[in-house]
Amino acid sequence: MTEFILRRMVFSAVVLVVISILIFVMMRLIPGSPAVVAYGADVTKEQIQEFEHNHGLDQPVPLQYLRWISGVMLRGDFGKSFVTDRPISPEVAHAFSVTLELVVWGFGLTIGLAVPLGIISATRSGGLLDHVSRLFAVVGVSVPGFWLGLMLIVYGAVRLRWFPAGGIVPPSQGLFQHLWSLLLPALSLGIYYMAIISRMMRSTLLEALSQDYVRTARAMGLSPRRVLVYALKNALIPVVSVSAMAIGFMFGSAIVIEQVFDIGGISHSLLSAIFQRDYNTVQAVVLIITAIFVLSNMIADILYGCLNPKISFVRQR
Amino acid sequence: MNQSDIAGALPAPLGQRCSTAFFRLVGTPLGAVATIVVVAVTTLALLAPLIAPYDPVGISLDQKLLPPSLHHLMGTDQAGRDVFSRVLWGGRISLSISVLAAAIGVFCGVVLGVLAGFYGGSLLDHLIMRFMDFLASIPLLVWAIAMVGAIGVGPVNLGVVSIGNEGKIILLVGFLYTPSIARVAYGAALVEAQADYVRARRVQGAGSLTLMFDEILPNCLSPLIVQATIYISIGIVVEASLSFVGLGVQPPTASWGAMLSDAFNYVLSGEWWLPFFPGLAISISVIGINLLGDALRDLLDPRGQAGRVIV
Repeated sequence: MTEFILRRMVFSAVVLVVISILIFVMMRLIPGSPAVVAYGADVTKEQIQEFEHNHGLDQPVPLQYLRWISGVMLRGDFGKSFVTDRPISPEVAHAFSVTLELVVWGFGLTIGLAVPLGIISATRSGGLLDHVSRLFAVVGVSVPGFWLGLMLIVYGAVRLRWFPAGGIVPPSQGLFQHLWSLLLPALSLGIYYMAIISRMMRSTLLEALSQDYVRTARAMGLSPRRVLVYALKNALIPVVSVSAMAIGFMFGSAIVIEQVFDIGGISHSLLSAIFQRDYNTVQAVVLIITAIFVLSNMIADILYGCLNPKISFVRQR
Repeated sequence: MNQSDIAGALPAPLGQRCSTAFFRLVGTPLGAVATIVVVAVTTLALLAPLIAPYDPVGISLDQKLLPPSLHHLMGTDQAGRDVFSRVLWGGRISLSISVLAAAIGVFCGVVLGVLAGFYGGSLLDHLIMRFMDFLASIPLLVWAIAMVGAIGVGPVNLGVVSIGNEGKIILLVGFLYTPSIARVAYGAALVEAQADYVRARRVQGAGSLTLMFDEILPNCLSPLIVQATIYISIGIVVEASLSFVGLGVQPPTASWGAMLSDAFNYVLSGEWWLPFFPGLAISISVIGINLLGDALRDLLDPRGQAGRVIV
């Protein structure tokens, strides 16, 4: 067991190191000096030299990488923006906290709706709600979340005026209003995994309920509720694992959702940095999102391995 | 033992198996619905030049922002272009990008996966599959955005060929698809490489390439078809997302994502038809392709060798 966890962690660490190298090299391979971006097309040779010296770009690339990555690892310092010349970390940290709130909301909403839906669907298999939730599972994975967001704005905010149109109400104007304005983005962000998790909850619970131990428990006269709790314990294992994966996924798709709802999170940092060719910020944001993705997948794997008694760790291959 | 003796022990020819599979597919309710939706969407996109009532990029400023009517079934956009015509033409772009990206992913994935599976346990196997593990652990959408952003949205000139943004998306997304296709191909090839019919052909003197791609590959196709189908539907959403943030198909060319990107500016002023119809086209296509994937999975891959796909 410990060996499995360790091996999985080492793999993730290696992946992160390789990814950081890849991002860094990718950004250095872009033709043209970032000085041209910072000063405009009529930049002089001296300005380029001075700019590259200030940002350490006149050093060999491996050295630049080591400097950068040690700053990131030791001090959480992602360097300075090529465009604004300000340190990147505080701005990215702020943007990240905005996105984190959205993801937490979206994740809570996803689990809060999908798990009960899946359970009801499985326990009343064949009923009306089961059909509705299965339809939802098909539609939910197919409808792009950001389009759902656009349509929710058109109907929920512009037509019905139930929600504020565009942007998030700051918490200073009332906590309820703030959370209410996050509801539509959270829903758009969560729809995909809501569908996946409700479908998965349904199928794993149905499978668990058909097992022998459930039949035995029923035959011994346990109440349906107790039986359900037993079955749920096993049925939840893959669901927990996929939920961990959902967090990493949500940080990725938040990029598009935030754009729709005009939320100033990492999406804004990433896209404005891309269009301003501010590569230092691009590599910071991409590294952070990728790291979250890799870590959430790692946690998903470890959870699955630890929770599932059927998986043995006696020398795989 | 001559050829006709072993013929009975071999699976039916590929063509025959495909046509049988097709009839079994449309024989199930799910498969029939899925096939109809996919065929309808594809036909509409293919026949866009014949069906589309207006020029998809023809600007007529006196006709702008008209709601849906008999003249303009889906209304007109901010430049007076007919939304229905743009949805049809946009389907050609969106669908070809997603199909071609899946094709590239399948091609690279199959070559690498079968190669690694055939030489299972060798250094080559480890090199390829560890690289695939690595690629599989990066988030697709974010990297597609970052990579297109790094290259820039303008055309890239590689000597004689010039690659437009559509081409870049196809190559990048196809590249990012490769690992999970390779894993599926690898799993299947690893098993098939030990099968008796492969040994028999080897004894008959067949070369490694023949064994890999003539013998093993056709018997690994089932999970691969399922996987490729799912990736086509994901490609539609990835194209839409990239174009929506301005890094995909560039104006004035219509693609479903590019239309949604245009429509974004009119969401607050209530022109609902601008975002509604392109998104509906995406949703219907993706639902159709996903259902087709489900039906194909039931039919071809009941053991579930093709993995779940996470964008």
